[in-house]
Amino acid sequence: MENISGGESPTRISSARAPEALSFTGKGGEYFGIWIVNLLLTIVTLGIYSAWAKVRRLQYFYRHTQLAGSSFDFHGSPIKILIGRVIALVMLVCYNFSVRLQSSMTLVILLIVALVMPWLLRNSFRFRLYNTSWRGTRFHFRGGVAGSYRVFLLNGFLTLITLYVMAPFAHQRLKAYQHDNSYFGRTQFSFHARAGQFYRVYLLLLAAIVAFIVLMGVAGVGGAFSTMFQIQRQGGRVDPTLLIRTVLILYGAFILMAVSIGPTFRALITNLIWNNTRLGEHRIECNLSPLILIWISVSNFVLVALTLGLFMPWASVRLVRYEIESMRLVPASDLQEFEAAEPESLGAVGEETATVFDFDISL
Amino acid sequence: MLQASYFDGRSTRVRAVSLSVAGEDLVIAGEGIDFRVPFADVKVDERLGLAPRSLRFKDGAFCEVRDLDGLDALLRSTAHRDGRVDRLQRNLRFVLFSCVACVAIAIAAYRWGLPWAAGEGAKHLPPVIGKTLSVQTLKILDGAILAPSKIDQERQQALSAKFQSLRLQEGGTPKSALLFRRSPQLGANAFTLPDGTIIVLDDLVTAMGDDQLILAVLAHELGHVHGRHGLQLLLRSSAVGAFWTFYIGDISSLLAAAPAAVVEAKYSQQLERQADDYGAALLLHNGLSPGLLADALQKLTESHPGASKAGFLSTHPSTDERMRRLRGPWAAGPASSSMR
Repeated sequence: MENISGGESPTRISSARAPEALSFTGKGGEYFGIWIVNLLLTIVTLGIYSAWAKVRRLQYFYRHTQLAGSSFDFHGSPIKILIGRVIALVMLVCYNFSVRLQSSMTLVILLIVALVMPWLLRNSFRFRLYNTSWRGTRFHFRGGVAGSYRVFLLNGFLTLITLYVMAPFAHQRLKAYQHDNSYFGRTQFSFHARAGQFYRVYLLLLAAIVAFIVLMGVAGVGGAFSTMFQIQRQGGRVDPTLLIRTVLILYGAFILMAVSIGPTFRALITNLIWNNTRLGEHRIECNLSPLILIWISVSNFVLVALTLGLFMPWASVRLVRYEIESMRLVPASDLQEFEAAEPESLGAVGEETATVFDFDISL
Repeated sequence: MLQASYFDGRSTRVRAVSLSVAGEDLVIAGEGIDFRVPFADVKVDERLGLAPRSLRFKDGAFCEVRDLDGLDALLRSTAHRDGRVDRLQRNLRFVLFSCVACVAIAIAAYRWGLPWAAGEGAKHLPPVIGKTLSVQTLKILDGAILAPSKIDQERQQALSAKFQSLRLQEGGTPKSALLFRRSPQLGANAFTLPDGTIIVLDDLVTAMGDDQLILAVLAHELGHVHGRHGLQLLLRSSAVGAFWTFYIGDISSLLAAAPAAVVEAKYSQQLERQADDYGAALLLHNGLSPGLLADALQKLTESHPGASKAGFLSTHPSTDERMRRLRGPWAAGPASSSMR
């Protein structure tokens, strides 16, 4: 954090072509107060206040994120988020009921959900980007509805019927749809990663999983064989330490797999996505290290569990700081030349729905 | 004089300005900028930690201030007051209070809210769900740790007949099916599936010897059937799992799967006591002594020698305490007192 986060010179103007690192100045202890007070208000109001809490959370993180001496900001209205949450909840309940209580309505409800989701998700991108700004200039998402149906419905269907062989392709198309249609003011983002590069990351992940399974298989079979030999040699008596050791190796390999695959994938795919995204002529660099991400995830998980959840604000801040500070903007010219586009008004329905249905909508 | 950055809301140009208050107005002055607006028309951002705070004007322009203490001083000379929640977020006492309140609510929800909701849920869940779950569970168990029983058919039928002829307090006879299985891993044990099917393991039959003792264990299991304890536990563990997935979800979705696995489907002590009470009352109702259940527990303890805590005993509260309960008030008095 040896960069502009000091803040003595808020008017500092970036010199062309020098990479500008993003910095994050939030602190866990500081965020804790905001988090816990809003959590209590959310509980007391039976969840209604969560919309206001969400706006504060995003504002806290956005305003502490700085690029070239200026921070980002979030402008979403809590009321719109609340309306979105209500719609999302209704859809979630409908979806759950239709899946659990299989009847003639199940197919109809699933069909309606499938038809509405792409539109909602596209609106969610619009809401999130339109309400994000830097130096008073808003971001925009201009993806069409047709594109959203192609990306979510058609590609989702292709992924399913090819038993996930098409998943990396669908992921690449989704990111292309998101990034190619994003704007900062009037400057358009563009996405240059090819499907082949996504396949490489996915295959690497698959290879790692296979390696873990082979390791567990070898340990299991080896353990079983040596136990058998021992039984033969010692006439039916088994040394319990041998069994325990085998079980520990199996268990350890499983934990190691559960703990490392997710963050590794996240680091590799995030790097791939951002290193191939441009804002106009400006390049973006992202340099997440899988090992550091694993460490942050594991330690956060342990500490959150040990503190009955109270470590959560520090955990979020740690993770966000690392992810933000591994990104840089490599400007091709002076950053001030961006011009703002005309504002447009949008509802929050899509964004909230996406949150409840837990899709990756991170830009 | 307060230093700030001025943005016109139309370009990303940063302009250094200084802010001051003159009467009811805010004065903004810098290179090429010199204007004043009534303070009533200025919207002041909340203070969120040490993040920069902005003063927003109606035309979309705003001033970003980093000197938060300086801004507070400037705001004091105006009619502006920070919002209530804004102030609470910075009030150490209220933060501590929130912390205690949230932990208390979480503990209360876990101790009382969750069992209550699981009990209500188990009562109202359509029977079809319990049936499906049981069929699946039995299929998995049969492949893994359960083997066909070696007890001959006659004895199985005799035991089933005795079991079916028990008279329930709520009227009628047990509707549960008895299934006999063998399992070296689980040892002397009996357990109940979500739909009420009771599985009896061979070792239990041999360890008990006496049919009345087996009936006592089955009476205890009928207590679990009556309270739908299997479904309750299932609902509890899935609720806890879902909550953790939701809560820890943003850290790593894969890690979030772990707590669901850690939350074991354990019969809580409360449910065990309920089943003991039900079983004891059932035995009395059928003219048998509740002490039989205590004797059965003793035999189970003896059949699991040493520190071995396999099967039936590991998930149950202290056996000594349970035997004392069963032999105490039950042996002497009527069955009315402790049905809860």
